Amino acid sequence: MKKIRIKVSRFNPAVDAEPHLEEYTVEVNEGARVLHALHAVHDDHDPTLAYRYCCGAGQCGTCAVRVNGEPVLACMEEARDGMTVEPLVLPVLKDLVIDMEPVIAKIARICPRPDAELPPKEVIEEIKPLRDCIECLCCVSACPALLVTEFAGPTVLRQEMRLALDPRDSGDRITDAIKKGLFYCTTCKRCVEVCPKDIDTPGKAIEKLRELANRRGLTLPRHQEVARLVQETGRSVERTKVTFLEQVPEVIEPDGPVRGEVGFFVGCMFNGRVPQTALDAMEVMKRNGIRVIIPHEQVCCGSPLIRTGQTSFVDDLKERNIEAFTSRGIKTVMTICAGCGATLKNDYETPFVVKDVTEVLTDYGIEPPARLDIRATYHDPCHLLRGQGIREQPRELLRQTVREFVEMPAQCCGAGGGVRSGVPEEAMALGAMRGEAVRATGADVVVTVCPFCEFHIADCTDVPVKNLTTILLEGYRKKDAEQEPSG
Amino acid sequence: MIVYNASTNKMLVDEIVDTHVLVVGSGGAGIRAAIEASRYGDVVLVSKTIAGKGGCTTMAEGGYNAVLRDQDSIDVHREDTLAGGAYLNDPELVDILVHEAPERMDDLIRWGAVFDVTTECQVAQRPFGGQRFPRTCYAGDRTGHEIIMTLLERLDATDTHIYQEVTVIDLLTDENGAVAGVIALDRDGEVVLFRADATVLATGGGTQVYDISTNSAAGTGDGFAMAYRAGAELIDMEMVQFHPTGAVYPYDARGRLVTEAVRGEGGLLMNARRERFMRRYDPERMELSTRDVVARAIATEVLEGRGTARGGVYLDVTHLPAETIETRLPVMLEQFLAFGVDIRREPMEVAPTAHHIMGGLRITAECRTTLPGLFACGEVAGGVHGANRLGGNALAETQVFGKRAGEFAGMSAARSGRIDEARVHDIFKMLDGFYDGVVKPADVRKDLKLTMWNQAGIFRNAADLRTALMQVRRLSDRRLYAASSDNLAECCIVRNMCTTASLIIRCAMLRPESRGAHMRLDAEVATEPAKSPFGHTYISLTRDGIERREVAA
Repeated sequence: MKKIRIKVSRFNPAVDAEPHLEEYTVEVNEGARVLHALHAVHDDHDPTLAYRYCCGAGQCGTCAVRVNGEPVLACMEEARDGMTVEPLVLPVLKDLVIDMEPVIAKIARICPRPDAELPPKEVIEEIKPLRDCIECLCCVSACPALLVTEFAGPTVLRQEMRLALDPRDSGDRITDAIKKGLFYCTTCKRCVEVCPKDIDTPGKAIEKLRELANRRGLTLPRHQEVARLVQETGRSVERTKVTFLEQVPEVIEPDGPVRGEVGFFVGCMFNGRVPQTALDAMEVMKRNGIRVIIPHEQVCCGSPLIRTGQTSFVDDLKERNIEAFTSRGIKTVMTICAGCGATLKNDYETPFVVKDVTEVLTDYGIEPPARLDIRATYHDPCHLLRGQGIREQPRELLRQTVREFVEMPAQCCGAGGGVRSGVPEEAMALGAMRGEAVRATGADVVVTVCPFCEFHIADCTDVPVKNLTTILLEGYRKKDAEQEPSG
Repeated sequence: MIVYNASTNKMLVDEIVDTHVLVVGSGGAGIRAAIEASRYGDVVLVSKTIAGKGGCTTMAEGGYNAVLRDQDSIDVHREDTLAGGAYLNDPELVDILVHEAPERMDDLIRWGAVFDVTTECQVAQRPFGGQRFPRTCYAGDRTGHEIIMTLLERLDATDTHIYQEVTVIDLLTDENGAVAGVIALDRDGEVVLFRADATVLATGGGTQVYDISTNSAAGTGDGFAMAYRAGAELIDMEMVQFHPTGAVYPYDARGRLVTEAVRGEGGLLMNARRERFMRRYDPERMELSTRDVVARAIATEVLEGRGTARGGVYLDVTHLPAETIETRLPVMLEQFLAFGVDIRREPMEVAPTAHHIMGGLRITAECRTTLPGLFACGEVAGGVHGANRLGGNALAETQVFGKRAGEFAGMSAARSGRIDEARVHDIFKMLDGFYDGVVKPADVRKDLKLTMWNQAGIFRNAADLRTALMQVRRLSDRRLYAASSDNLAECCIVRNMCTTASLIIRCAMLRPESRGAHMRLDAEVATEPAKSPFGHTYISLTRDGIERREVAA
């Protein structure tokens, strides 16, 4: 047995105006789960503690709570000293008990055809990954879109796709899915992160439903414009200025000895909208001895099309991009756009390794820049943090380059998944929340590694937003200026 | 009907609900019963938990037995079930089970269930213990969850009214002794009264009365206890299945089910000396012997010092391809990973765990109990599995008998009697008494579970059983304390656990032989199960005993 201290959110609507945290010291067994710590509170301290549980084995989805803010199943998560246990972010009935029924009621039920028969194996195999859901509502608690829209929730859309795949079902799942907020999902993958069953709702449900909607001509008009642009120009943004690719040679040699070599996938935003940032990144590579090869025939990675379900010619884009790099014998392709990186890593099957710029720089190690005299915070791009699992590398680089680094809780900025163009009011509402979070840090600058996040957050805060490579370059410039003989 | 106490002028009952059929329980059997009953009239389903989440069906991993192939036969399924049950099963109920399991499987498929299928587009089947044909249909190792999700979807298409998180605390009878309704507590401890023409008890099992159990927290035996108090007769309550393979670590997760599918897929049992000890207990069937045999084999290995330091044996799948483990046993993989064991690389540690109560309410083929107006189906009913249940027969039972219970309850005539008001008053008195109680329900529960595990577990003898019964009686007499109205249900449930425990012990004392899961170390004569002179044990408020039967010499 061991003693641990835990805080538990208590709320009795008959008495309390709002929830408050109570601290308990409980005795639990080695390896005890959060649920057993709650049992200990109930059995040894306060039998009126309200909390739900049933199977104790992660299978019924009854006991989900937030532990230190993260939704988990209480029966599977290990109890730790100092943890705070709160209800999911849903209407609270009492203490840790939330009202599950309204959400569960939104989950569609199959309408079997009278002649329904067993589907073939390949259909079953496609449905199965969407069928593991235990309706614990962790995803509903964590989804940012739910904070600002009428989005019905990730698991609700998961079920729509499960039904759309089933030949036994007679319902119109696409119309239903659109009504339930199909276009509200920013594909931030927060739902996947918290799902006890690891269900990839954005990839296996949302994007697939959007594909089905596309086949019925129900794609949002703004998204259709993007698809038209990609089809006509190979790029998802219009050419309004001299592009990155128009300004650079095919090979950029480093200043000093060659320590490494990467191919560079620039992406539409950095190529056409903010080429200067990409040029800054090239300077950083030069400085650190990395040769950069830039095939000029590369095109859009297809991300804006895949996220919005417009996949009819994505395979062609993939082929062209893969060919552009393999024909030059490139072994490692570097991205500086989180969205492109996630797409090349997750939606492509590439014969080369794909690395984000922060991975390349931390792998090789960088020349230390001078520290900029600023307090900086970092915004985790969803497609970097969850899309590529990159959390530490950008922080490591940033800490070397600024006077003070302050953390900001990660949350989607609202720009992804076609939401900034398709549902701008949602994007602005989520962006405003980011603006609040930035303000709370008191930072002088927000640093990120994704052009969509950068653009969008800049619209939602007065604090300057900069790409990490630009910050690095500023550090090098400061270093150079300090080393120049004065006068 | 009394709804308030005239002397205190206090409202007693906050809500009265009238319906044609009332279903108590939201596991596989209860929901199936409600679906069927809804074809005949109003149906109310009362669930102690959020519907579908509380029963053991949703936790059932391995599968559903049904004869679906030409090479298999109903007769072989019947014979496997009877032999597995040590010929204590009610043959008529077994006949129904094996004949109707395939039809009920068809229902599930038509309603959208996502079972694994073969490349020939047939429902896939895996081998399970004690069966001569691989007839266990499955959806990975989350078969029960698949069934529950399918049933909930179907239930949603009916007009059934669901009362979520409402705990039934007693059955109510009329002046003729017929069950006419139930009394229940809602989430806040407010009393709700349900009146029905027919009541279907589908409250599941109760191995939570044991310290080590696979059951969901809801598996507290409420149905057995409530039916007993209402005067129903139960049979074979001593027949408690100990599943051979429960987790042993960490302590708080002890008993968690490690599905038989692990052995079905080729998992090997080994003791601490890495011997495949099943050779000594059942060399023919080895790991896929019946559960009673495997559980006793493991318990014996541990008792005789050949177990692991944590008191288990090894269950090993590391010789299987990682992909097989990932696709066929994903829940096992995930659960063990959460506790730091990668079953693709290292063996699991397992030991027996109380799993299923084969006994229960005596029912007819129409799921009628000995009380008019009361039907029972699923684990709360007895007779289908005899002295030992075959893996995969319980899910089939929920569907076959759930449908029957719903159907015959649905065809019931309108009730004519009046609910016994004195009984309702007694229940209010009991509830009020909990506020003046002195003992925490949690303490009684803990003591009860240990008593049952230590003195009425896998190996039994008369002296231990007597000690256990005395202790359970003492516990039953403790005055349970409710800190607030929210805790009333908990007190009622602990009271039910005590009752269920005493039924198990009393029936265990009534059966002098070792049979199936019931192992009497002090049994004087060993008989072949098929030739045993004993039939069911039976127990009710008015009589108890053991049936004798004629056996051909």
